[in-house]
Amino acid sequence: MKRCLSRMVLVTAAGVAGLSILFSSASPGKPSPATAQSSVRRLTEAQYRNVIADVFGRNVEVVGRFEPDLRVDGLAAVGSSAVSITPAGLEQYDAIARHIVAQVFSPDNRARLVGCAPGPGDPDGATCAATFIQQTGLRLFRRPLAPWEVRDDVAQTLGSARTLGSFDEGLAATLVGMLTSPSFLFRIDTPARTGPSGMVDGYSKASRLSFLLWNTTPDDALLAAAASGALDRPEGLQAQVDRMLASPRFTDGTRAFFDDFLQLSEIDHLSKDALIYPAFSTSVATATREQTLRTITDLLIDHRGDYRDLFTTRRFAMTRALGPIYDVPVSKPGWSIYEFPEGDPRVGIVTQASLLALHAHPGRTSPTLRGKAIREALLCQQIPAPPANVNFAVVQDVNNPTLKTTRQRLEAHLDDEECASCHKATDGIGLSLEQFDGAGQFRRTEHGIPIDVTGKFDKVAFDGVAKLGQLFHDSPRVSECLVSAVWRYGNGRNVQAGDQSAVDDLHRSFAAHGYRFVDLVRTIALDPAFYTMGAPAARSLTAARTAMSKGKAS
Amino acid sequence: MGKGNLCPTLAVAMLGLTAGGTALAADAPTGGQPGTRAFVATGLFLSGGTDAKSDAPRSPGNFEVYLSMLPPAERAELSSPGKRRDLQKRMWDQFGFRRLSLWPGDFGGRSQVAKLPPDVKLHQKPTPEQLRAIAALNGFPKDRGSLAYQNQTIAYSSCTNPYDFPALAKGYVPYTGKVSYGMNLDGKVGAKDFTGPDGEKGIDNQLWRAIGAYKQSQEMNDPAVREKVMLSARAPMLIEVSGIDDTVNDPDVTVRVLTGADSLVRDGSGKPLARASFTLDPDPALVNVTHGRIVNGVLTTDPIDLRFVFREQIVDNTRLVRGAVIKATFTPDGNLDGGVFGYTTLTSFYDMIEQMTQDGADNVGMSCVGVRMAIDRFADGYRDPKTGRFTAISSAMKFHAVPAFVIDPAMRTANSNSSQMEAAR
Repeated sequence: MKRCLSRMVLVTAAGVAGLSILFSSASPGKPSPATAQSSVRRLTEAQYRNVIADVFGRNVEVVGRFEPDLRVDGLAAVGSSAVSITPAGLEQYDAIARHIVAQVFSPDNRARLVGCAPGPGDPDGATCAATFIQQTGLRLFRRPLAPWEVRDDVAQTLGSARTLGSFDEGLAATLVGMLTSPSFLFRIDTPARTGPSGMVDGYSKASRLSFLLWNTTPDDALLAAAASGALDRPEGLQAQVDRMLASPRFTDGTRAFFDDFLQLSEIDHLSKDALIYPAFSTSVATATREQTLRTITDLLIDHRGDYRDLFTTRRFAMTRALGPIYDVPVSKPGWSIYEFPEGDPRVGIVTQASLLALHAHPGRTSPTLRGKAIREALLCQQIPAPPANVNFAVVQDVNNPTLKTTRQRLEAHLDDEECASCHKATDGIGLSLEQFDGAGQFRRTEHGIPIDVTGKFDKVAFDGVAKLGQLFHDSPRVSECLVSAVWRYGNGRNVQAGDQSAVDDLHRSFAAHGYRFVDLVRTIALDPAFYTMGAPAARSLTAARTAMSKGKAS
Repeated sequence: MGKGNLCPTLAVAMLGLTAGGTALAADAPTGGQPGTRAFVATGLFLSGGTDAKSDAPRSPGNFEVYLSMLPPAERAELSSPGKRRDLQKRMWDQFGFRRLSLWPGDFGGRSQVAKLPPDVKLHQKPTPEQLRAIAALNGFPKDRGSLAYQNQTIAYSSCTNPYDFPALAKGYVPYTGKVSYGMNLDGKVGAKDFTGPDGEKGIDNQLWRAIGAYKQSQEMNDPAVREKVMLSARAPMLIEVSGIDDTVNDPDVTVRVLTGADSLVRDGSGKPLARASFTLDPDPALVNVTHGRIVNGVLTTDPIDLRFVFREQIVDNTRLVRGAVIKATFTPDGNLDGGVFGYTTLTSFYDMIEQMTQDGADNVGMSCVGVRMAIDRFADGYRDPKTGRFTAISSAMKFHAVPAFVIDPAMRTANSNSSQMEAAR
C-alpha cells in the first residue's frame, strides 16, 4: 500500500505543480495582468473541512495542518487563485486524507459510506469499486468522472487490493489518491462545450454557485441541475439560487465571506498580555470572532437588514464568555442578542472586541493599526507599510510622564512629516476608538486623563465612535467597498478595468435594493458574467448576457 | 432607597433588571442597574489569629495521634512519609473503619463495592431505611454507617461517629492566642473573648478557639495561601448590594447574599475573573435578604440567619450562620473585602468536616474527633431550650469578592431578616 500511495502522491504532486504553473496568476502586492486570469482556486481550509463534512458526515474528523491560506488585497478568496501546493503541503494533505479514509472504512462508518463489498455477483469488487468511485468522485471533484478516470481508478483499486490482500485497503488507497488529487484540492473551471463562448460548463457553474453561497461543494440537487442543463437556463439558475439563499446554509456562506472580508481568522493567532488584560483569554478571543459573525448574520440574514446598519447597530450577539469584556450581564447560556442602550459607546461592529483586539498590540492599543485595518478592510483603501527605520520610541512609551495618552504620544510622533502622511489617514479613525483598550474593554480615561475621541472622516469632524459609525453608514465608499469585496470573493480575483462598470452597476443595484446583502449576492449569482471563464472583456460580458436573455426569452 | 422593609414590587422590578432584561450603560456599576453592586466571593475562609510564637502548641492530626499510640519499634517503622498507606491501613484495621462504594465505578477510591438490598436502585440516594439495611448487609456495627463522599459511599469512621473513637482526640489543644479576627457579636467583653487585631475587645470567635491550632487552619489563615485558593468554586457566594445612593455613606441599602449555580472562573492572570455572570442556585432557601448601611465606605448589614454553600470536588455543605453580620469595605479597585461574622451552627459546620471523610482528615492532618469534641466544648450561641446545650459557635470568615453580575430568574425572599423578624413576632 505504501508503495502504491507513494506513486500516487508523486503523480499528484507533478499534476499540482503543473497546474500551478499553468493557472496560478495573482501575485500578492501586484496587480494581475489582464491576460492571465486564473480559473483554478485551491480549496481554503474552511472549504476543505466543509466538503469533507458534506460528503462523509460531520462525525468524520479532519485532523492536520493545512498549507496556509494567502491573502491578496485582503481576501483569502483572491489569494486562493495565487497559491499552489508545496511538496511539504502535499504531504500534509496526504496525512489528512489517510486519517479521513481510515474513518470512512472504520466499522462504524463503512456500511453507511461505502455501502458495498465484493460478493458472489461481484467477486473481485469491480462493480462496487466503480459505484463508489463514481458517486464519491462526483461530490469530491464536483463533476462526473470521465469513463477513463473510473476505469483507471477501478484498475488501480483492484491491483492494490491484490497486492495488499484486501479489497477495502485497495479502495482506501484509491480514496486517498482522490483526496490528494488536484481535481479535489483545486476548483478547476471547465469551459462549456456548447452555448456562448467563454462560459464555464454546468458543473463549474454549480461549483461557483455553491462556494459563493454555501462555501462548500454542490449538493445533490445542484449537481442534478448541472447535469440536466437547468443551470444554463435563467429560470433554472434562478430556482437554484433562490433555493440556496433560502437555506440555513446561506448563513454559513455569509459567515465565510465576512470571516474573509474582516480577516477574522487572524484571531486564531491573537494573544494578549495576561497581566494587562487578564479577562482576555483564548476562549474569549474565539468568542469575539463568533460574536462578530453572529451579529452580522443576525442583521443581514435573519432580519434582511441594511448592510450599512452594521456600523450603527447596538444589537450585539453575546455569550457568557464575553460578558466580562463588555461589562454586561449575560442572562442566558449560549448565544443571545444583547442590545446596548442609546448613548452607550458600543455602536457598530467596529466597537466589537474582535476588531478592537485584533488590531491592537498585545499590551496596548494602536490607533494606527485600527485605522489601517478599517481603511483597508471596510473602505478598500491601501495604506503603505511603515518604513523599516521608523523610531517608535515615543509611541511605545506608555508610561511617559508627560505624554499620558496615546493621542498625545502619536501627536509627538507625527512631528516627523514623513510619518505624518500615512498617520493622517489612519489615526483619525483609530483615535476615535481609544475608549476601548487593547482587549476591547471600555475605559473613559488613560492614566487619569479623559480620552479625546474626536476625529475627522472624509473632512467631516466627529466626536465619538457613534458619530463615526453614522458617517460610515452614510458613506458610499463603505458600501462600494463591500460590493467590490463580494465580487472579488466570488470571482477569486481582483477587479480589472474591464470589470469596473459591472461592479459599478452592482453597487447601483445594491443601493436601489436598500443595501440588502442577500440581494447583492443574488444579483451576482444570477449574473451570467459570474460564469465566464476568464477576464471579462466588455464584449464577452455583453455576449454572455445577451445569450442568457435569449435563453430566457425562449 | 429609604429605610424599611424591601418593597416586593420594587424588588421584583429590580431583580428583573438584574437578570439582564434591560440593557445597561457600559459604565454602569457592575451588578446590574445603577445603584446596584454585585460581587462574587472568591475566597471564604474561617479566620482567626496567628500564634506569635512558632512553637505554639498544635493539635495533632490522625496519623500523629495514632503513631503516638504505637509501640516504639512500630512507630519508627511507620513514621516515614513513604509508609503512610501502611500506617493508614493499620489504623483503619485497628479502629474498624469501614468504607464501601455504593455503586461500581471510581467513587470511594480503593473501596470495595457494597452488597445492596434488591430495592436499592443504582445511583439513587438510599433512604435512611435502605441505608440501615445496607449497613446490616455489609456487617457494619449496629446503627452505624453513614453516607459519605457525595452519597457515593457508605462509611463508618471517626468522622461519621467521632464519639466512638475518643482516643483520636489525644493531644488536642485549642488555639491559645489572645488575638483573633472577628466581631463582638454579643456586645459583651468576656474572659474567653479575643482581642481584635485593631485592639477591639470582646471579639467572639470560639470556632477559631476550637480549631485554630490545627496546622490546616493556620495555613488557610495565611493571606498568601488564600490568594491562591478559591473556596466553594462550584457554588460561589454572591453578594448583591442595591439601593445605593452613595457608596461612601448610605443609611439604608438592601443586601442579598446568594449562591451561584455557575462555577468561578479564573482570568488569564490566575485571579478570579471579574464581571462574570452567575445564575442563581434554584434553591429558594439559599436566598438571604437583609438591610445594611454604608459608613465611610464600609458596609455593615443587619443580622440574619445566613445559608450558603461550600461545594467542592467532594464536599457539598450547606452552612448556616445564625445572627450573621456582613461587614465589608468597597475598595478603590471596585472589589468588596470583608467578613461574615455570626454563630455557625454546629450541625452545619460538622457536616463539612464529616464530608471531608476519614481519608481527607487523615491526609490534611486533622482529627474529626478533635474537631467535634472541641466545637461541642466551645459552642457559645443559640442554646437549645430543651437540652440546655449551645447549638452554634461564634465564628468569623473573611472573604475577597470581585464584581459580578447576578442573573436571577425569579424573585425570592426566603431568609429575609424582615420575614424572620415577623416570624419571631
